[in-house]
This record gives sequence, structure tokens and C-alpha cells, in this order.
Amino acid sequence: MKTKDRKDKAKELAERYGYLHYMTERYLALWGERETIEFLEACEKPPRTSIRVNTLKTKKDLLMKALKKKDVILEDIPWLEDGFYADFQGFSPGSLTEYMLGQYYVQGVPSMAVVKALNPQPEETVFDLAAAPGGKTTHIAQLMDNSGRIIAIEQDRERIRGLESNILRCGVENSIVLRGDARKLEELDIEPDRVLLDAPCSGEGLLAIDPERKTSKSMADIRFCATVEDQLLDAAVRALRPGGVILYSTCSIAPEEGEYIVDGMLQKHPDLKIVEIEPDMGVPAFTAPYGVQMDESLKMARRMLPHLHGTEGFFICKMRKE
Amino acid sequence: MVSLIEPHFWDNIKRQIDGDFGEGVTQQLLGDRAPVVIDRGKKQSVYFIPMDWVQLVDSSFGGFRLRYLGTWLGEMSGDTFMLSIGVLAQLEPLTDSKIVVYRRGAEAFTYGRSIIKESVLSLPDHLRRGQRVLVIDENGSCIGLAALAVDAALLNRLGAEKLVAKNLVDIGWYLRRYG
Repeated sequence: MKTKDRKDKAKELAERYGYLHYMTERYLALWGERETIEFLEACEKPPRTSIRVNTLKTKKDLLMKALKKKDVILEDIPWLEDGFYADFQGFSPGSLTEYMLGQYYVQGVPSMAVVKALNPQPEETVFDLAAAPGGKTTHIAQLMDNSGRIIAIEQDRERIRGLESNILRCGVENSIVLRGDARKLEELDIEPDRVLLDAPCSGEGLLAIDPERKTSKSMADIRFCATVEDQLLDAAVRALRPGGVILYSTCSIAPEEGEYIVDGMLQKHPDLKIVEIEPDMGVPAFTAPYGVQMDESLKMARRMLPHLHGTEGFFICKMRKE
Repeated sequence: MVSLIEPHFWDNIKRQIDGDFGEGVTQQLLGDRAPVVIDRGKKQSVYFIPMDWVQLVDSSFGGFRLRYLGTWLGEMSGDTFMLSIGVLAQLEPLTDSKIVVYRRGAEAFTYGRSIIKESVLSLPDHLRRGQRVLVIDENGSCIGLAALAVDAALLNRLGAEKLVAKNLVDIGWYLRRYG
């Protein structure tokens, strides 16, 4: 598509779906017209509600039985053994006693996938950066069977209350919650085995959940987020022990917050390598977004997208420090 | 900063928990963990941590502020120790200081309501007015903590709508606190 045609098409789509012009123009450059329209259409309806069984508090079959008794319709998520799509038939997912007892966590599929890909092991030391509200912290604790230690770091005073509340509700006993700026990790003098950085981002993957996002953020906002993400990931890589694993993710579909950040980090830290994600999920990340050639190993990183996977938009990249 | 708990402070906590839930219960609850405290000014938060975390005591954590660690046992305010909602399920198998309530009473309790006579399914006779009890629903789940408003032995003399136990904390707190 010629530049002039793309601009005209972007304008038309922006008006039709209620987006800022710059956004649809970028989507057209990334995906072309057909896929852009599929994406925009998919963002018109929210993704299905999903839950994770908290095995620190209950057994999967017991929870399934209890929820079915309350007319909640559950459907397996094939590659997430403790995950279900859940139709609460009009009830709020957080209103049931089983929720308050910490037996399940309402969580998007990509968020569960991120922790599954991190693959934390019992007795390890894991950093969870930008940890609030704690969905991933509590999932990590579950996979570590409450052993080892999770250093959960959050800067926001209000959000940290939610993090503590979820840690308590879900029966997590192996977390240490610290308030502060994760860009200053070197002050902690702890070398973690694994780091999860689900970075604060522009939220461009959440369009289907938050329609206001269609008009609320500019390119300057994306650049600002990218700067912070770069600093956070750099601090995380420096802190990680040699041989350790880092999982970087964002709920943004902007390559500036995904591929660009990782590519920059690979150049800055030659001992950092992208590794395959298991279980396989999503589609390969871009290796040349907007025509900018990047490290070919980025094809091992993954993107999850509303029109392809019925989820929020997400970028996931797993790396090892050699 | 987190510090090891002072013996007299720990004795005070033990006395209060054991007084309500039975002699030796606090020590059983502690198990092979260590009690530590974070001073928050007017309140002191008490946590249980694994023994191999004890080296964290007196750590500065650089520019980071320690907010929470291990298992939150509860909070001392003045001279009263209030158990955290999160530890109640661990306490449940160690004690018979429990009031079991019917489904409707349990629902009302999770909305912050207290327990009236018609909601009570069972209450051991030996429990006394003022004592703290775990609140259990019909499925056996611990849904909170209440203070008895009457001696349990007098339960059968009460009218259906008379107060039996005052709500101190319930699992609805998670929603009310965070939304």
C-alpha cells in the first residue's frame, strides 16, 4: 500500500472504529489492511473471562464441582492445566465465596501464560517486578509450592495494598513485598534465579477491555513507557545470576515496547540470549517491525493477539543470561 | 525494618491467642517458623518466616521499604492482638473454638454482619462470652473471626434474632479493602 493510500485508509478506519489516527496507521503498516480490520473487529468485544485454580488453597476437581453447583460454566484452556474459561452467567466473578476463600484468581490467559513460561521451580529465588496486583506473584507461589522466596517489588503505594491483599487471600507464604523503584535493583544485593518483568506499559493490548484506550494515549506516551521499560529490563538483567532466566512481557502490542526493547537489550548485554517458550503459544514476534531489522532470535518471542487468540494483546519474551 | 520479636511481646501474643483458641495453639501454629515484627508506629505487624530467612532480620533492603513477608499472623494495636484474616484457615485444624453457621448466616457474615441465634448450626458449650471464635460455614470453610456476645451454654435460651457473635473480620474484607 502506498503511503498516501495507507494514510487515507488509516483515517477511515480510525473514524469507523473510534481510534486515534496514528494508531490505525501503525496497524496498517504492521499487518496490512485485512488483518488490521480483523484486529479492530476483535477489539470490539471483551475477551472471555478466565480463572486460575489456586492449588495452594484447593484442588481443581473440588473447585470445579463447587462452581458448577453455582451454575458457573467452565471450559478447559488446553495448554494451561490450572486455567479455565469461566462464564459466571451475569454474576461478578469476585462475588463468590470460593473467590474470597482464595480458591481461584480471575486472570487473563496471557497473564497465566507468562508465569507458565517463566517456569519457576521450588526453592528458587524469583524477582517479580511491578508485581501489583499480584496475579502473577500468587501464580509463581503456586508453582513453587510456597517454597523458596519471591521478592515482589511494587512502587505504587495504593497498588501495593491490592498486592498484599491477594497474597493473603491466596495463601502465599513465600513472598517478600518491597516498595520501591525496581530500576534500583542493585541496591538489594540479591542474585535471583529468575526474574519476571511484566512491565508497566501503554496498555495498547487492552483495547478490548478498556475502549477508552482507543483515544487516551499518544506516541509520546508509548515512548515514555518504552524508556521506563528499557531501564527496568536493564536493571533486571544486571541483577540476574549467570545462568538465570528472565521473562519480559507487556500488555502492549506496540513493537516499541516489545521487540525494540528486547533488541536493544541483546545489543547492550551480549551474554543475554532469547530462548524458546514452552508451552508454545501465540505467534512469533516481529523481526523487522516497520522495516527495521532486528535480532533474528526475536522470532522465539511470542505475541498474543485478540483476533488470533481471543485474548488481550501481549508480548512475551524469555531470555537466559549466559 | 524487620526485627526478631521480643520475648515479652511474643508472650503477650501467645497468651491472647492461646486464651481464645487453646493452650499451646500459638506454638503449633508457629511450627518450625520464626516470628518477626515490623514496627508501623502505633501498630506492630507480626509475621512468621521460614528459619532460613532469619538472616533478613535487620536487612536494610537498600532504598526499598519492606512491606510484607512470609505469613502475616496479625497486628498488635495498643495491648490487643488482632489475628489476620489470612492465618485463620491455618488455625482451624488446631482448635475447637468455632461457631458453625447456616448458609444464609454465612452470606450475611461475609457482608460484615454479625451472627444471630437463628444462624447458628453449632457452638461448643464451654465457650465463654467475649472469647474469639472462628466462623465456619456449612462446607467447613473458615470465613472469619467473631467475638462471642453470650456464653455458649446460654445459646438455647436466646430468641432467634438475638446477637450471638460480633463480626471482627470476614473474608469479604478482601473485596471491601481492594474492591
